[in-house]
Amino acid sequence: MKKAIFTTALLFAIIGIAFAQTGVKKRRPLPFEFGRVVINNYSEASHIAPVVFDHWLHRAKFTCRLCHVDIGFGMKAGATDIKARDNINGYYCGTCHNGTRVFGDTSVFSSCKEGSGKMNATCNRCHSLGKNVTRKYDFREFVKGWPRERLGNGVDWEKAEDRELIIPYDYIEGVSIKREKLIVQQDFKIAPKVEGMPDIIFSHDKHTFWNGCELCHPEIFTGIKKGLTKYSMVDLYEGKYCGVCHINVAFPLLDCQRCHTEKVQ
Amino acid sequence: MKNFSRFTLLSLLFLYLFFGNCIVGNFSSVYAQDDWKQEYSSVCAKTQNAMILTPEELKSYIDRCDKLLALINELEGEQAATEKKVYTKRVKMCRELYQFALEYKEHK
Amino acid sequence: MAPIQKLLSAFIIALTVPVSASAADYSHYLRHIPPAENFGQVVLDNYSHKAGVLPVTFDHWLHRAKFTCRLCHIDIGFAMKAEMTEISAADNMSGYYCGACHDGKRVFDGRNIFGSCAENYTEDEGKRCARCHSSAEAEERKYDYKSFSEKLPKLPGNLIDWEKAESEGKVKLTDFLEGVSYKREPLKAQDDFTIKIRSWDVIFSHRKHTVWNGCELCHPMIFPSTKRGTTKYSMFQIMMKGEYCGVCHTSVAFSVWLCAKCHITLVE
Repeated sequence: MKKAIFTTALLFAIIGIAFAQTGVKKRRPLPFEFGRVVINNYSEASHIAPVVFDHWLHRAKFTCRLCHVDIGFGMKAGATDIKARDNINGYYCGTCHNGTRVFGDTSVFSSCKEGSGKMNATCNRCHSLGKNVTRKYDFREFVKGWPRERLGNGVDWEKAEDRELIIPYDYIEGVSIKREKLIVQQDFKIAPKVEGMPDIIFSHDKHTFWNGCELCHPEIFTGIKKGLTKYSMVDLYEGKYCGVCHINVAFPLLDCQRCHTEKVQ
Repeated sequence: MKNFSRFTLLSLLFLYLFFGNCIVGNFSSVYAQDDWKQEYSSVCAKTQNAMILTPEELKSYIDRCDKLLALINELEGEQAATEKKVYTKRVKMCRELYQFALEYKEHK
Repeated sequence: MAPIQKLLSAFIIALTVPVSASAADYSHYLRHIPPAENFGQVVLDNYSHKAGVLPVTFDHWLHRAKFTCRLCHIDIGFAMKAEMTEISAADNMSGYYCGACHDGKRVFDGRNIFGSCAENYTEDEGKRCARCHSSAEAEERKYDYKSFSEKLPKLPGNLIDWEKAESEGKVKLTDFLEGVSYKREPLKAQDDFTIKIRSWDVIFSHRKHTVWNGCELCHPMIFPSTKRGTTKYSMFQIMMKGEYCGVCHTSVAFSVWLCAKCHITLVE
């Protein structure tokens, strides 16, 4: 009898666990797909193709902070709830893509416009999901000769910036606030829980160049005292903490030794 | 001759007004036109060095952020929906950073 | 309980669960164990049929004898399930996936690796397509299992004992691909450990696994937990759903049906 109960309990336990979706491996995006975001808050409902946004082009030209703080894009696809009206009003994509803004020698094409409602080639530059659109910038051409990295975009953005192969804008006239120079906080070490894993060296310097302060604090990292928050790889992997960026856009978590850099004594 | 120079002056003035306006219009775009936007630029300009502000300074910035948020919430007009969405987020981000810095300091 | 009874009860539990759990089709994992030469075989037909060519039949055994799992599944980025990578001819032509090595230029072991998909090719070159786009028995294939596996140590059922082959130096694994892999400071292999399951303990060897997989092939995607004992694995997930150990051990690495290879206490 006892055995029967045990077996039944075991059976139910197994069934319960069976429905949790873990333990498998997903497809990894190709370098030019890495950082791709599909935005479909209103597109399909208005019978147009959803927007496909690849981070790599913008990330080579602008800091993360510029778009995610100054312009105010959210950190999750669809979370910003961008409407065509917002763009027409000159916010979000329309902040730069207004048909008049110029960066260097490139004049930026215009995003959504008040008009006939007919789609044209310019609309297709963003509203391109499922369409065979030839983009103006070819990824492989674009990143040619840049320092390479095996995962993510296959580009070592940190080195590319270091060697001034890219000089991202951090200020847009009329949008960004003139700020004083940033005072960089100190780097620090985090000791991992797993014995034998090298310590994590977190560099404020490397992060603030792209992000400033308010992109990460306090929304992503709420802790005010070092060592108070316990991060686990599971949390990160679910898209919390470092995982907010280091799954989809910045170099992925798979590259253990990019963070676990301190040699084990 | 006199007529000519008056014509030139007038047309120069006209040109200035017309194109000058365009140039100004170009630069200011939709951002930074109203008073509250000025206040936003001044109150959120300190985020880069929030960690070196004193608790008193931080508190006053937080206070100004709160007032600003209330103001933004009452915006009316054609662009109000977008403005509220964009600026509420932007002000909140800097307010929360000041709050974060304040808690850090008080904890110390 | 005698070992055979333990085995039987585990077997019965494993079999009854899918029937009661859901109507999903798990028969895929329960099909008869394929003959040794087809073990680890993967058929890829994301685009082949539509493009008028035969699907790609990929046998793991040849590549397994030359490269670590990690090299292809991390550095090159192949997914762990057939067709999930959605490889297109264009990907190969631009040097991704198969095309990372099979570009017609790369030299391995003193031999030129044949090129994969191409935009234009002569009729003669076209025969090359059949090296992949064909059934495993096609005459265009250069290697056959029987002669290839002759000198390698074996498991029951004529399967190759890869672990032994590697430790005896009968296969030499390449773990670095110029231009694709990046050298990193090696991480310390974690300790082996025992998973207590009443009397069917499993001894898991990190060392044996890291030779092939490094760390990042399994962590964190397949095994996300960093604390031992927090995740409960079931044979149902492993055998029927191909999760956890089952990601590899149902299809490529030695079969889950060789119970005693993991449940070491069954041997005693």
